[in-house]
Amino acid sequence: MKKPALFSEFYKRNGTVLGTSLLLLVGFWVVVLIILPQLSMLDFSFRPNLPPPEMGGPKDVYTLANYKHLIFGAQGAEGTYNVVDLSVFVRTIIAAILVTILDLILCYPLAYYLGQSKGGGKLRILIVLLIIPYWINEILRAFAFRIIFGESGLINEMMLLVGLIDNPFDFIRQDIALFAGLGYAYILLMIFPMYNVIESLDRNQIEAARDMGASWVRIHRRIVIPHAKPGIASGCTMVFMLSAGALAAPQILGGPSSLWFTQIIYQWFNEGGNWPQGSAYAIVLLLTCIIIVLAIMRLFKVNMGDIGK
Amino acid sequence: MRFALGAYLLIFFAYLLGPLLIMSISALNSKSFPSASPWECLTFEWFAVLAQDERILNGIKNSFIIGIGTVILSVSMGMAGSLVLTQVWPRLRSTYYTIIIAPILVPGVVLGISTLVFWDRVNRFFGLGNDSVFSDGLFLTIMGQSTFIASYCMLVFVARLQRFDPGLTEAALDLGASHVQAFRKIMLPFLRPAIASAAVLAFLASFENYNTTTFTFGQYPTLTIELAQKVRYGINPSISALAFLIVALTIFAALVNEAFRRRREIRSDKDLTAAAQKPSLLPGFLRGNIPAIVLVLFSFGVITVFYTAQTYSPEICKAEVKAEKKIETDRKIKEIQEKLKAQQKSKKQEQENIKASKKKSGGAFGSVFAPSNLEETTGTTSEPETKAPAKKKNNAFGNVFAPTNLEETTGTTE
Repeated sequence: MKKPALFSEFYKRNGTVLGTSLLLLVGFWVVVLIILPQLSMLDFSFRPNLPPPEMGGPKDVYTLANYKHLIFGAQGAEGTYNVVDLSVFVRTIIAAILVTILDLILCYPLAYYLGQSKGGGKLRILIVLLIIPYWINEILRAFAFRIIFGESGLINEMMLLVGLIDNPFDFIRQDIALFAGLGYAYILLMIFPMYNVIESLDRNQIEAARDMGASWVRIHRRIVIPHAKPGIASGCTMVFMLSAGALAAPQILGGPSSLWFTQIIYQWFNEGGNWPQGSAYAIVLLLTCIIIVLAIMRLFKVNMGDIGK
Repeated sequence: MRFALGAYLLIFFAYLLGPLLIMSISALNSKSFPSASPWECLTFEWFAVLAQDERILNGIKNSFIIGIGTVILSVSMGMAGSLVLTQVWPRLRSTYYTIIIAPILVPGVVLGISTLVFWDRVNRFFGLGNDSVFSDGLFLTIMGQSTFIASYCMLVFVARLQRFDPGLTEAALDLGASHVQAFRKIMLPFLRPAIASAAVLAFLASFENYNTTTFTFGQYPTLTIELAQKVRYGINPSISALAFLIVALTIFAALVNEAFRRRREIRSDKDLTAAAQKPSLLPGFLRGNIPAIVLVLFSFGVITVFYTAQTYSPEICKAEVKAEKKIETDRKIKEIQEKLKAQQKSKKQEQENIKASKKKSGGAFGSVFAPSNLEETTGTTSEPETKAPAKKKNNAFGNVFAPTNLEETTGTTE
């Protein structure tokens, strides 16, 4: 009987009132807000789409139809794959990986620079400048990119003025606006985990390596990157998860022909009215993201505990 | 190397801050489609449009209600979560940590859906209708947002608790304090800075959340939802005006924060006396405090802009732009007319050459026809509500129009 002993010790340390309220709050959060909703979504995804009166009735049985729909398309078209949804899904995952790599390349030098600078006023200014964009609404950030990349946006106007192009270039259809917007949205989540670990790197190590004649590339490969690995993995995980799950930026910056997988989920819920179908798609997205993240962690040999530091 | 670093930093921060700057500029441009170029007139009318927008104002109200609810719920849950983390059974610890950190990594869309589905089921379980608490937009949104915002708060508390000395609580308990007393007198004061920063973080996260809220808001759209709908379906620069205000507020808040930080630093500095001996024209609180100086300048700038906005009227400039546009279109129309005439002439000559027997009356008819058509084009182009690329489109439009006109006229002449 270990559990009661555990609880009694907990109560001894915290007292009855405090202990109970702590347990209640944590229990509410973990059970009611985190675990049960996910389970009920999982359950929901295996059920057919029924009108409310028929729920719980004889027709309400478990079925794989919603998952089959993602792979094979509607039931009438057996045998052929659901090319539209599957290609959107694959494209979303690939695009999210690309955005992650883009952010990593963009942010690593700055994180290194910030982590190795000696602090003081200049560092403060840079950090404040980094944070300011993140106090501004996600929608407005995407909107700003639309002003820049739109058909009569700033870049097109400039290029027309200079005479570089004759007709406006459609950045939105080419997904350039989307990549720029998504990359922009998660820069901070990439920089800060990396900055935190690089800051803790002893500068003497780098100097020692340099004294012994290591090249610039070698210093980074052998000293900085191994040390910064938890930060890099943490940043990559967050950027990947958030860009794969992004909804606002693709809705605003995505071209008419390029859907994001979350947009399909959104359509099932808000326009299609088929909640079980949407739930099934959401589960697929969630599981894929988890698998990819676990793979990254295994690859970099990083623990879950390093995330969010 | 130094140069490359400088260039890199420049590009990086241009990417980071450029969009905000351009968006802010577009708020002051009088064009009805938000853009920074071509620049037309300095105007403040979009702020007036914004102030009269019922939906935006209603959205702000809902955002505040949801924000306050989320702050209360997620700060208390985050605090409880971090306190339990410090004393949870070691073997359970990593599982527990994984569970409470997971909501940060789970896509917001998934959180929104699961919240919606779960509370819908609870609602049906209790046999309640669509107007119960569990299907209320405010309730659902607060629940959905708190799920992951509590994790952020938890991280803030964990960072602070690492520096806590458990001996303090034990001492208080030994001296006869009850657990609640010890918590109130020792733990809470120790955690106060963390509570403040967690609350600010939670409020900001709640205020700008879109992915989760978009599934749960029901009858209570927040500001972010309203903005998204505006951006997706029909834009005018009043959104830029809102962004301008938010950017200004953010910079203001950041400067205030920095100024206070610097002030505390200076106070704790031993060199204060040395600095004070320097003769300086600045009042005491500004001495050696660069953020404070910038803050004062920034406030001054904002006040100046505000007064300008009160007295300044963009009408003259607008009229000028309109006149300019008119001249431009007139010029283009003339060009087209001349082209038309020239073409007609050549066509006529051809026709005369080929069909000499036919009468010439058709040509006269054609030239009557053309100007009236042209007037139609001028009518559409010189309207004040011209769309953004009017200048260029007008040209293309006119050109397209002309040949068909010609064909029509030639058709009648034949």
